[in-house]
Amino acid sequence: MSSKIISPFNRVEGDLDVEVKFERNKVIDAKIISRLFRGIEIILKGKNPLDALVITPRVCGICGASHLYASASALDMIYNAEVPINAIRLRNVLSMAETCQNDLRHTYFMFLIDVLNNKYHDYANFEEVIRRWAPIQGSSYKECFKWSKKYTEVYAIFGGQWPHGSAIIPGGITADPLPNEIQRAISILLDLKKNYLEKVILGGPINQFLDTVKSYNDLLQWAEDYKEGDLAKILEFGLEANWHKLGYGSGIMLSYGHLPTEEYVGTPSKKYFKPGIYFAKEKEYREFDQRNVLEFVNSSYYTYSKGDQTGLHPFEGETNPNLDEKNKKKYSLTKCFRYKLDGKLIAPEAGALAMLSVTGNPLILDLIDKIGPSVLSRVVARLVRVLIYNELMLQELNNFEFGKPTYKKPSEVKEGMGYGLVEAPRGALGHWVVVKNEKILNYQIVTPTQINMSPEDPLGNKSHMALALIGTEVSDVNNPIEVHHIVRSHDACMVCNVHMLKLI
Amino acid sequence: MKTILWLQGGACGGNTLSFLNAESPDVLEFFSYYDIKLLWHPSLSLETGDKVRELLNNIVNMKINLDIFIFEGTVVLGPNGSGKFNMFAGRPMKDWVNEISKVANYVIAVGDCASFGGVPASDPNPTESTGLQFHKKEKGGFLGKDFRSRKNLPVINIPGCPAHPEWIITTLSMIINDKLTEEDLDEYQRLKIIYNTTTQFGCPRNIYFSYKVALKEFGHREGCLYFDLGCKGSYTRSPCNVILWNKQSSKTRVGTPCFGCTEFDFPTFNFFVTEKNRSGIPKRLPLGVSRGAYTTLSAIARASAPEFLVKPLIKKKEDRGNWLE
Ligand code: SF4
Repeated sequence: MSSKIISPFNRVEGDLDVEVKFERNKVIDAKIISRLFRGIEIILKGKNPLDALVITPRVCGICGASHLYASASALDMIYNAEVPINAIRLRNVLSMAETCQNDLRHTYFMFLIDVLNNKYHDYANFEEVIRRWAPIQGSSYKECFKWSKKYTEVYAIFGGQWPHGSAIIPGGITADPLPNEIQRAISILLDLKKNYLEKVILGGPINQFLDTVKSYNDLLQWAEDYKEGDLAKILEFGLEANWHKLGYGSGIMLSYGHLPTEEYVGTPSKKYFKPGIYFAKEKEYREFDQRNVLEFVNSSYYTYSKGDQTGLHPFEGETNPNLDEKNKKKYSLTKCFRYKLDGKLIAPEAGALAMLSVTGNPLILDLIDKIGPSVLSRVVARLVRVLIYNELMLQELNNFEFGKPTYKKPSEVKEGMGYGLVEAPRGALGHWVVVKNEKILNYQIVTPTQINMSPEDPLGNKSHMALALIGTEVSDVNNPIEVHHIVRSHDACMVCNVHMLKLI
Repeated sequence: MKTILWLQGGACGGNTLSFLNAESPDVLEFFSYYDIKLLWHPSLSLETGDKVRELLNNIVNMKINLDIFIFEGTVVLGPNGSGKFNMFAGRPMKDWVNEISKVANYVIAVGDCASFGGVPASDPNPTESTGLQFHKKEKGGFLGKDFRSRKNLPVINIPGCPAHPEWIITTLSMIINDKLTEEDLDEYQRLKIIYNTTTQFGCPRNIYFSYKVALKEFGHREGCLYFDLGCKGSYTRSPCNVILWNKQSSKTRVGTPCFGCTEFDFPTFNFFVTEKNRSGIPKRLPLGVSRGAYTTLSAIARASAPEFLVKPLIKKKEDRGNWLE
């Protein structure tokens, strides 16, 4: 057994090491290791609760609006804020605009350029793929460069700037747009629809796609009918490269649900995308209850005052980093996320695929049924979400009622507890906040990457991502591109660099 | 041909993402117009693993010439000075930063974190983070106060959380054209032409500021955010309202207070609140204004405020009274 280090593993938003053990060309064990700690939860302690609206977007430069949305939602609950419908529409638009920006940039800048790998040089359509997806030079790569930032323009019209706007506040949103601004955003979205999403990504009309493509077969038919779209090429290439047989993982989908549909006080009851847990194999849906969320640190570089084997709900959560490298059981700066269901600890998958399957999207459900929760399914789900979101943003903006408020000042409270649950680009994101004497007593952020890539829990259960890697047969251990595909298909986000440590 | 290496330390990636929003030229055009070779960037480059280590080592031992080293995020020193809270390519990132800074012609800190320490270095600084050449207000930082790059310049700071892409492109193009000299930098080593004005320049609420008409609650286009809602626009140096964000807007335009994210002391906390002294005057006054002058001016300004500013122009059906004061 020899060992070789491939590090850093780039093009993942974040700081991640993946340790993979091979037996011949098969992955027999995998550990996900995060080696960046920024201490945001510690910084927030003792601060004014509203400060979280400025600090938490800085957790992530690519999905700050999701953190902002989660943070403001948690504070909505604490202040029992009335949130007017206009505010909900604009908040939703901010969240969707950011997610579209991410889903496109992830697909083209981070995921697809791996097709340049040596393994694919003799594929039939390799030249075509290079022409489209090669970094800097590829036609679709360039189009993504040009168009993805248009979503940030939509964001800035209502959010002031992207990244790191802070326009979402408990009780609504700071902006008060005039009809010309609403119109400007609508025009940008229509431009994106006609001249980018339909021309480059889909190769055909969005409305027709959303109305008629309801199954895997419909999708293949679409790819036949609209060959020129990138979606068709991704399917064609992905099937040849066996992306549909790669990276299945836990088969348990988790979504917190997203985008409230109506005015609410404190916490929304209805969302466009419903929360829940979906078991892919059993085709079984279960309700989600945030009280069952637990975090463990038995394998993480932290200590708990009640002992490291204990699982803590985020309201009771603790962030005490302790980089004790003598303790061989600990290896990551990511805490371990588990959900308690029927007395068992489950380690689900989060992300676009999970969100759309939990909410019951027929195409995505059939995709999971036919080609599993695979690398290919994840890439397709992310693009389908952009199409859905672009339409939904147009709807929200068209429904905006000028002359009605975007904000209602909540009455002040000295203490309380609240949580905000959203679907970030990478999946289920939760903020749990405890306020006492008008100051933050405890702030815990549980990210989707943490859900996907936790270390082991005290019972030795592996996370979804480790399961997705274990059993993978790579074509060449010196060029384990399959591992890269699996990791990147999750749009991993630890912000900065990724190392892969390969033990042979 | 000029070479650029871009690394991220204790970072959220926001400056990278902001850079990708550049227009006229956009990033791809910029690289090709100026014949720039991006040696490596963590989220844009194809190379991974050993190839990156080899590249970094070749830069450090000067087999590959490095013109511009751009660093995003804080230099993480924790825990206990070991740097192990931020490992990169098998070593603490701080060690790479130290070695690479020595061989680069120019060293650029992009964003508030790399410039001054930003959010991670704020109280209680759990990661022992610091900026490249400043720690908050103090000159020194990770590289020390005497640090000079091979072209004999200190670290060039482009603060902002994040930095606007146009500020980054402007700074880079001045360097590439050999036009940037020490005289172009202010006392915080920021490019004067970008950071010479305050956020207030070009803010549509400025007329409300002049006549001391305050906005009392969020969600309205009118009124100034300084008096009650914590806006730092009158004492923060940034061109946010002149060079708009994403071609569209700015924080104060959408009614969000300026948080002062281009300054060394960001984040100051207690945002959204204007702290006042006993006579009700904000504790922090606009840049360069004395307390006496401010008090006199306020009284006159308020007394002469035009009626159309004092009464809201845009009233909504469900509005509960006046939100201006
Ligand atoms: S204080 Fe803020 S809101 Fe008021 S004019 Fe200045 S930048 Fe605009």
